[in-house]
This record gives sequence, structure tokens and C-alpha cells, in this order.
Amino acid sequence: MSDWGHATELDDISGQVAIAGIGETEYTKASGRTAREIGVEAAERAIADAGLEPTDIDGLSWNGAFADFDADAFHEHFGTSHDLWTSRWGGGMTWAGTAPHLAAQAIADGKARHVLNVFPVAWATQRGSMTGGPGETHAAQPLKQNLEVPFGWFPQPVYFATIMRRHMLEFGTTEEQFGAIAVACRRNANHNPTAVMHEKKMTLDDYLASPLLADPLRMFDSCLISDGGAAYITTSLERARDLAQPPAVVAGVGEGNAESGGHWSQQQEFTSTPQVFSAPPAFKMAGLAPGDVDVLTVYDPFTVVSMMQIEDMGFCEKGAAGEFVEGDTLHHDGELAFNTHGGLLSHAYVLGIAHVVEVVKQIRGTAPAQVPGCEVGVYGGYTGGMASTLILTEDR
Amino acid sequence: MASLKRADFPLPDLSDERTTEFFAGAARGELVIPKCDSCGAFCWYPEERCLKCDGDAFTWTAVDGHGRLYSWAVVRRAFLPAFEEMVPFVTGLVALDADPTVRIVSYVVDCDPDALAADQPLDVVFRDLRFPTVPDRAVPVPMFVPA
Ligand SMILES: [Zn+2]
Repeated sequence: MSDWGHATELDDISGQVAIAGIGETEYTKASGRTAREIGVEAAERAIADAGLEPTDIDGLSWNGAFADFDADAFHEHFGTSHDLWTSRWGGGMTWAGTAPHLAAQAIADGKARHVLNVFPVAWATQRGSMTGGPGETHAAQPLKQNLEVPFGWFPQPVYFATIMRRHMLEFGTTEEQFGAIAVACRRNANHNPTAVMHEKKMTLDDYLASPLLADPLRMFDSCLISDGGAAYITTSLERARDLAQPPAVVAGVGEGNAESGGHWSQQQEFTSTPQVFSAPPAFKMAGLAPGDVDVLTVYDPFTVVSMMQIEDMGFCEKGAAGEFVEGDTLHHDGELAFNTHGGLLSHAYVLGIAHVVEVVKQIRGTAPAQVPGCEVGVYGGYTGGMASTLILTEDR
Repeated sequence: MASLKRADFPLPDLSDERTTEFFAGAARGELVIPKCDSCGAFCWYPEERCLKCDGDAFTWTAVDGHGRLYSWAVVRRAFLPAFEEMVPFVTGLVALDADPTVRIVSYVVDCDPDALAADQPLDVVFRDLRFPTVPDRAVPVPMFVPA
């Protein structure tokens, strides 16, 4: 089972750093804004939230594959020119979960004090002009363009329909069980005024009536396409205690890697994610177990990705998530409060950065669908061949 | 990043050297997969280095065209204009008998989509792939039919 990938060796940073500031833009359908504009707005709000000034930010991380926001954008917006420690291995997706570890190392090495991680996206706007988006990003990869796209195995809904079917075939998972995940995320979003789907209710019958895009995957198994972004600031726990907000302590970080390459079609454990390798060391670093978790958020482009990560992170046995998620288990007031902001399915498709921000809010006690007494919150990041686990706790 | 502005997209780009042999094989009615010269493993997709031993030399090797249906989707929404007249169609992953860790992505044709079953035996056939959006062009490719 566990010979198809490995965990990245990460230094134990438990309790050394905390998330001290969060910032979010509006989450919308096509806004006409650029990702750069969105990114600097999120950055500005995170800095204000922490009670800092732009010149206090001496470390910056973003995702180098999305060159929309970077150090130039930061300096141009704030009119600053000071030295920044930078990393292109931050931003969203799996890296939204590991950026605090990068920051912790930079802080421990004395290279930075306050590290800002930013991820903006404007795919809803770009889709209108056909200049970007998840499908085009994939179709441009030569092996996919030659070995998948010509064969109709494109774009993401088709990959995940295929994974979903295999999960159904191997474990007996049902469409109603996938639907339970979508309904939970929607109900949570209905409590969250900033969620794109805030006003739209969804029942299991609505889910089952939604169109099949690629049988067995329905429209309501699928994430939104959105404009929006968020940012957070990591600093030492000691420093965080002097700032404006209660610290969300970084208790554990993990990163897992599949060794069968980056293509979904060739993943040898087809119905698993590299959470299998990421979650256990993160929980070990934190001295916690899945049973201690009050809020779980996972990167959820499709319901099956939630299903797999819930299993792979140890919240139930492999193959048992279908039964586990039935009913209201994943609702904000259920047994495992899950994607309490609505997730990529019903909040906004901003690739995981808002998931981390949601966990911080839950720890602070300020989330719209607040879980009473939330002390431990987890983000599960996922990017095909990689996964990450970020465990945040109350300062105790 | 390869261009999506190619006039023959979404037909395969036959000038891409990493997959030239695959389509050349299909044109002569052979399913060929790169085999690592160092460790003998089939390496699919054709990456630059063998994921098993890091070797960098490969020989494209013909395999018999038998496999099993690992999983599939019945695509109902045309995600590209080229697919508009094809939907619904079945596309999926075929685990080759020669090495089940090799999964070929292709169409399952001449089948009743509702009658497909997990791991059912399939045989390769070579058919011309054509799209109405790319007139007068066809590329022979492997597809699969129930055995
Ligand atoms: Zn080899």
C-alpha cells in the first residue's frame, strides 16, 4: 500500500510559528479584475489584519507557476523597495499547506520576521477571453495534449469521473454518498456570506438531478470557476502574541509525494492521494490524531478528492468514506465539520488558500459557520502527485 | 508549453518526438510502449527518465493489444468543440496485460456503455481519429473494443 510514494523530510517546527494575519478579497464570478490586482488587495488586507505595515513584511511567497503576483507586484502596489526573502514555492493548492513551513525556516534562519503568502486567481474572468483556466493549463502540457486530449480524456471532470468510477467499483461507494459531500459543502456555504453560492440551497435531490458531465460525475460534484484571492502572514509564535489577532499556531506540517509521476492516468494507487504520506508525519509533529480534529478543510476540486483525502488522512478506513460521509456528518454542526466555508465546490475556486484562511478563522472563533470551541483545524492540500497537511491549533 | 493554436488540435502533435513512435506504431498496426534499456520496465508515459531506475535510454517495444478496462467515463458534455458530434462517448484507462501498471488512455468503441464492467477484457483496434473541426486530417490511433 505505502510503497508508491514518500513523505518529504521536514524539520519539526511544531509551536515555533503562527499565522498572525489573514486577508481576503471578494470571491466572485468573472470580475474583470486581474490576478495581480486581486493579489495585492489580499496582501493589503492581511497586513492590516495583523496590525502590521507593508514595510514590516520582509518575506514573501507565491506560486511561481502563476506569475500573476510576485515581489514586483508587492513593491509596486505599496511603493516599497526593501529587501524581501522570497520563495516561489508558496501560494495555493498543496503549497498553501507547506508555505508556513518554508516561512518557519526563513524565520529560524533570521532571513525574515513576517512572511506573507499570497494566492490570487482570475480564472472566471480569463475564461471569458479564453486566455487561461484549469483546462487550458493542462491541455498545454505536451504529454496530455498528445496522449489524453485526442482521446477525449480531458479536462479535469473526465479525469475525476474516472477516479470516481474506480472508487465506486472498488469500494461500493454510491452517487448519494458523493452527493452528501456536495450537500454538506453547500449548506456550509449557505452560512457564509462571502461564498459565491451563499444564496443557493442544494438538496440531495438537486444533486442527483444535476447534469452528468462525464458519467458518473455530475455538475454538482465539480468546483466553481472563480475570481478571488487570499493571503496570510506567518511569524514566530512569540511575535504573533504581540500582534493584533490571536495566533493560529502551526502545530504540524506534512508533504507527500507520489512516485508514479504527475499524471492522474498513471497513478498506481488510483483511488488514493499522497495524503497517505503527508498526514501521518504532520499529525506526529503536532502530537495529535485525526480524532482530535475539530475542523477539516481539504482541497476539493471534485467530491471524490474529498472522499479520498478523508480516507487517506485517517478519518476513516480506506474505502469507508462513502458510509462515513452519509447524512450530515460533514456539516459544520456534524461529526466532522468539513470545508466549513463551502470549499471549492460552493465557496470559491481559489485553489485552497481560502481553506487555510477558514481554518485560521475557526481557530480564532470568527468563522461564519463557527464550530464551537474549535481548538484544532487541518488543511489537506492536493495537487495530483503531491499532497500537504497543515495542522493549526489554538495558542494554549 | 505546447501551443494550443496548432491548426490540427486536438489531433495529436505528430512532430512531438516524445510520442512520435507511439503514433508511428499505430499507423503500422502496432501498440508500442517504451521499455527501459537499463531495468527492462515499461515506462508509460514516455518521460525523460525511467521512474523505476532513472535510466534515460528506451526502446519502443511492441506489445500484444490485450488489456483490461481499469476505469472509464461516459463523456456527455462536449468540453471541446471537436467533441460536439461525438458525445456521448466512452473514454477510459486500459491496463495492458503485458504490464498492468501501463494504462493506455483511449476510447472504448463498439460497446454498450451501460454494459461495461470493471476489469473486463478488451482488445486493441487501430482506427483513424478524425474531428470535424480538423477537416481532411486523420491520425491512426489505438482504440479498444470488448474482447
Ligand atoms: Zn529503468
